[in-house]
Amino acid sequence: MSTRDTDHQLELMQGTLDLLILQTVALGRAHGHAIARSIERRSGEALQVGHGSLYPALQRLLKLGLITAEDGISENNRKARFYRLTAKGRKQLFKEASRWQKLSNAIALILASASEENP
Amino acid sequence: MFGWNNRRNQLLQEFETHIEIQTQENIEAGMSPEEARRAARKKFGNVLLAAEGSREIWGGLWLERILQDLRYAVRSLRGAPAYTATLVCTLMLGLGSVTTMLAIIESILVRPVALPHSEQLVQLYSEDGPDGFSVSSHALSYKVIEELQRSTHSFTGVSGYNTMLRPVTASDGTRITILTAVMPEFFSVLGIQAKLGRPIGPGDAKAAVAVVSNEFWRERLHADPQAVGSTIKVSGQLRTVIGILPAGVHVPQGTGNPVVYLPVSFNAAGEDDFMIESAPTIARLKSGVSAQQAFEDAQSVFAHVDRKSGERYRRLAMRSYRDLVVGDMQKPLLTLLGGVGVLLLIACANAANLQIGRAANRMPEMKTRSALGASFARLLQQLITESILVSLLGAALGGALSYAAIASVRHAYGKQFPRFDELSVHPVVLGCTVVLAVLVGVIASIAPMLNIRRQTTAQFNTKSVTRKSRLPGALVALQVALTCVLLVISGLFVRTLQSLQNVKLGFDPRGVTTLVLMPEQQNQDPELSREIETRLLHRFETLPGVQSVTMQTEVPFSSYNMALNGTTDVSGRAFRQGDTAFYSMVSTSFVRTSGIRLLKGRTFAPDNETGSAMEVLVNQAFLKKYLGAQEPIGTSIRFHRDRGETDADLPFAQPMTIIGVVENEIQGSDLGAPYQPMVYFNYLQLPKGSLLGAVFSMTAQYAVRSSLTPAVLASELRAAVIREAPTMVEMNLRSMEDGIALSLDQRRLALRLVAGFGVIALALSAVGIYGVLAYSVALRRREIGIRMALGSTRTRAAGMVVRQAGTMALLGLTPGIAGAWAAGYAVRSFLYGVRTFDAATAGLAGIVLVLVSIAAAFFPAMRAAKVDPVETLRAE
Repeated sequence: MSTRDTDHQLELMQGTLDLLILQTVALGRAHGHAIARSIERRSGEALQVGHGSLYPALQRLLKLGLITAEDGISENNRKARFYRLTAKGRKQLFKEASRWQKLSNAIALILASASEENP
Repeated sequence: MFGWNNRRNQLLQEFETHIEIQTQENIEAGMSPEEARRAARKKFGNVLLAAEGSREIWGGLWLERILQDLRYAVRSLRGAPAYTATLVCTLMLGLGSVTTMLAIIESILVRPVALPHSEQLVQLYSEDGPDGFSVSSHALSYKVIEELQRSTHSFTGVSGYNTMLRPVTASDGTRITILTAVMPEFFSVLGIQAKLGRPIGPGDAKAAVAVVSNEFWRERLHADPQAVGSTIKVSGQLRTVIGILPAGVHVPQGTGNPVVYLPVSFNAAGEDDFMIESAPTIARLKSGVSAQQAFEDAQSVFAHVDRKSGERYRRLAMRSYRDLVVGDMQKPLLTLLGGVGVLLLIACANAANLQIGRAANRMPEMKTRSALGASFARLLQQLITESILVSLLGAALGGALSYAAIASVRHAYGKQFPRFDELSVHPVVLGCTVVLAVLVGVIASIAPMLNIRRQTTAQFNTKSVTRKSRLPGALVALQVALTCVLLVISGLFVRTLQSLQNVKLGFDPRGVTTLVLMPEQQNQDPELSREIETRLLHRFETLPGVQSVTMQTEVPFSSYNMALNGTTDVSGRAFRQGDTAFYSMVSTSFVRTSGIRLLKGRTFAPDNETGSAMEVLVNQAFLKKYLGAQEPIGTSIRFHRDRGETDADLPFAQPMTIIGVVENEIQGSDLGAPYQPMVYFNYLQLPKGSLLGAVFSMTAQYAVRSSLTPAVLASELRAAVIREAPTMVEMNLRSMEDGIALSLDQRRLALRLVAGFGVIALALSAVGIYGVLAYSVALRRREIGIRMALGSTRTRAAGMVVRQAGTMALLGLTPGIAGAWAAGYAVRSFLYGVRTFDAATAGLAGIVLVLVSIAAAFFPAMRAAKVDPVETLRAE
């Protein structure tokens, strides 16, 4: 469900959705739709968040205690559930973000050398 | 459940909001409301799948799935009532019998005796005595017990006791009651408090007091709360009841009979009335002292104490108190557990077969579910759930069955076997049953699962003419094998019982009635008892219709026997350790009354009753052991005197002359026991003052040969006792033949149980064979139809099915008979007069099994014969 057949959209790697959600709610509380929208917009519509995976991911983060949920009223006056980062979630976010950074740098280095060898 | 519905609704609500926001956005982007909504839904994707995905995160989905499976299982089982009923009944029988047996074993062998710190209680006893005079092979003398009390350091207390039957008079009259004479420490060693009053204590050694068991209080004293302080008469002596024991305390025998406890009375020499070692001994270990340390301590004391007569050749042994109570029950109970275990295996094989058949019918359903995306694991879970559900249902019914069985066993045998009154199904046993049920459920569903896996993973559905599975046949063969084992064992038990019934008694029980009397005053002068008993003997002889009467200290099958095992010198033979014989006192007409065959010499002469020379008869076993080829008649024997012993230590010092040889007769009450050397001497010739006189005048056993009916004779004898010897109390009056029948009771019970297992196993096997054949015929309809179309006959079609049944039975018989051989070896100690492998019995069991198999094949064979070839071909 997280993939669309269009080429310009990317499949999210396992575990990266969690990181993106944490990053999104770090900016302030948000409901499910807002989180999905935010990720799509900020990735320049390259990433499409399948809702089949968004809500299970939210439930997983709730269970791990990285985010909390509360009922509230959305911008267009609808009852909605808002998610907010916890202190534990913030710690996890920093850890995962730096880990991700290292990983993506390493992969970029390898791919860069590969493209030099096979132009 | 668990608020899941709330959470689920909340989640769906959240999805709805999400979609609405998206719709709103779409409208704002210029879509029509309807289009906007559809686009939003499309973007969100499958709502239910998202919900399921989230649910999985919460955990507990497995539980929801199990509930779903359970609902489904209940529905599908309800749809197949015949199948479900057969399966549940099979498992109920299997699990019910295992639960019953486990409950018995747990209650009797595993559960600690209900006494404070019962694990500290031990029995000290002496064993391995080929020689000497002993009343009970496990007893110690009071002198030794007192020495153990004084000199050991490992016990908080040591106490002896002695159990006997005595007339006890309460307000409801005189009845024969179990009497336990105890040393003052008895109750404190066992840690027993009285429910009312107080137990016997150190100050009561010489007091005329008694403590009664709760059963005695309820049955004889009408549960009177004022009973403490009342008086009862024990052996003619008035005693004050000072205490009543709490319910459920059954010391030391463990059976729930009314019991009266007295302080044991000693004579000046510190011996009780029996004057030889006679007291079983219970001791309590100090906490922190190991059994081994305590045993070594007791052994060193025993080694140094000055022991008399037989005890000097014996050595000390120790075992737990529980073993004292239930020691000889262990083996039969474990054997029976083996039997029900086999039964459970048979039931399990049946369940597997029934499920294989059912799985075959459900194959389309399984394929559909598999095609709709159910994983094999999911199907498997569903199948196991269903199987376990049925299994648990069987376990529940089986549990109920075993509750009923345990209640009836407790009722029937509560007073007969130790601890049987404590029988009950404890939670731990039910726990075991549940575990077993789950195991059976899982095991029984493995086979059908494999079938389903094979079929659902097959590339396409082949429309094969014949589908065959070897597994059901193998399971039936296993059933047949196990059933064969049970049948052969029951057969061996039947043969044992037959040979015991045909055992050569060595005497003629027909027309013989035995009467046991006891002087009401136990401490009555032995000479007076003897005089009364002799007078009664002569009175009985004059009764009309009575042919002859004898007194006998050892009457076959009587439980009032006094056995004297004496070391014996035979003239012309050097004494060796182990030269002993049993001495039985009889009266002049012994040979005539008992019907024992006189092989050589003559019997006692009436005019020699007061002569000085002791005349004795010996049996064949005596002849064989001690005289060999030597001429027995005229040979003189005497009690052997050990160095340091005086004549006073012997029963009597006079030599005895052998005047005749009689046939071996049954001794005691075990028909299967080997013959021991016996010496019979005339009671009337016993020298005055012999210690035997005192011991043997405690009870008088008469055997009366008469042509009268037992009822008439009984009333004649009773009337004579009342007229002639009113101070004698009747302990027992019955015909010899009743006594023999009674002695076979326990074996008959075992036989009934094992035969019951055999019958249940046979029924289960028949159901199993029927199920497999019915299934196989259903699968082979097309094949049979084609065969018929090609010219085969109905008879041949039926024959094919019967042959299949025969093959399965024969396949099972080979391992079955081998198994029966091994099982026969395992139960060999219960057998008599039949070998551990009896070809005739095994053959008979085999024939029965083959016949039952063929009978079970009847209906499937008929169905095969009725297959219509036209119909089959039309279906092609």
